[in-house]
Amino acid sequence: MTRYGMLINTKKCVGCFACRLACQMRNHLEPEETFIKFHTLEQGEYPSVYAEVVPTQCMHCVDAPCQSVCPTKATYTTDSGVVLVDESRCIGCKYCMAACPYGARVQIEATGVIEKCRFCWDGEDVGNPPSCVGTCISGARTFGDLDDPGSDISREIVSLNARPIAGNLTDSKIFYVR
Amino acid sequence: MVWGPLIAWYLFLAGASAGAFLTAAFVEKKYPDSVKMRVAGRLIAPIFLGIGLIMLMIDAEAGLHNPLRFFFLVMNPGSVMTLGVYFICVFMPVALAEAVLELMHRRVPSWLTWVGIVFAFAVAAYTGFLLGVVQTFPLWNNAILPILFVVSALSAGLAATSMVGLLVDRTRFEHMWLVKKTHVILSAIELVVLFTMLVIVSSGSLEGAASVASLVTGQYAPAFWGGLVLLGLVAPFMIEGYPVFITKKVETSMTSLVVSVIGEAGVLVGGFLLRLLVIMAALPVAFL
Repeated sequence: MTRYGMLINTKKCVGCFACRLACQMRNHLEPEETFIKFHTLEQGEYPSVYAEVVPTQCMHCVDAPCQSVCPTKATYTTDSGVVLVDESRCIGCKYCMAACPYGARVQIEATGVIEKCRFCWDGEDVGNPPSCVGTCISGARTFGDLDDPGSDISREIVSLNARPIAGNLTDSKIFYVR
Repeated sequence: MVWGPLIAWYLFLAGASAGAFLTAAFVEKKYPDSVKMRVAGRLIAPIFLGIGLIMLMIDAEAGLHNPLRFFFLVMNPGSVMTLGVYFICVFMPVALAEAVLELMHRRVPSWLTWVGIVFAFAVAAYTGFLLGVVQTFPLWNNAILPILFVVSALSAGLAATSMVGLLVDRTRFEHMWLVKKTHVILSAIELVVLFTMLVIVSSGSLEGAASVASLVTGQYAPAFWGGLVLLGLVAPFMIEGYPVFITKKVETSMTSLVVSVIGEAGVLVGGFLLRLLVIMAALPVAFL
């Protein structure tokens, strides 16, 4: 079974925001609508301190909290583990926005629908690769099949000891190297 | 912030609607002669809930543009919101039917009132559980919030109905000791439950403590202390409690009427502010 996931290596990320822009272009978002959010954290101890840039987005959780609270079943998970929103069912009640622990949900101004990262789903399958991965200038993002032990992402998760951003919150399919 | 004043209005109106329905049932049982107050409660219930539901639809923008999507709301029984839709689907028609029967001067069958009583409690409770199950916000995600909302709903419904009783049928209202006592006791219980919730939430997590601090000492402190605690709980407790438990006299003066109206209005303002503040002050759990 294919189970899509992504790895984000913050050690390679330079914080150029190209992924966010590519995502906005690909998903026809307004400038203030972003599926990718950037957090800048102070890390280290004096005198060796640095600013860590951490991009976050929908973590495509297993048993996603946004999906379980959605009253209209607009939010669903594909067989390949991608959490999606069926626009034609969403009433914009924002319950998913409240339930998402990662603040990944965004209200689309034109329609009122609550959207989020969909791994550039085109109606049948994920983007190959999703636009944020394809555009990253430093190769900080890896996308692929978590169930295939030979895939780039599976190998990198092991070799770089990548982990979910907050392991105790949900069963996330985005892995971080920090 | 995910939700705003529109949802606070809805939560308040739905709660007060359930409370008004229960008040009417209570008045019918204990004071069959107080027709005006009973009718008032029966009319307030569907009107408040109706206004609340309109607020809800305005807030749900994608549904507002495509109203047929609202039918999907029954699809996920695992969601508290869907459960609330089920409850409202029973409560609203019952409340409407009782209002129409009252207006036609027909007798309301007691089985209908019993169905309404059960679903009025369900509606009042669901508004609390709606927020209570959201793990992201510690101020919401606790077992005390639904109880607080139910107590506040009863109190607000009672206040809305009492206000009408006070203004249109005062002599009778001033003799309804059981209603007045219930009201005083509800204010006291709400105060205790609110205090309990804030202490527990504050001790539970950093974000919970920060949320409570913003209410008690932070940016929401004026509304919290002045509006919710003083005007919404302490003042009504004293205003109602003084004649009921201290002087035990039937009030007839104009001054007492004005003071009582302020007390009832205070409960309503407090009931709305409770929901608004709980929505606005909640901070999400940090994940980074």
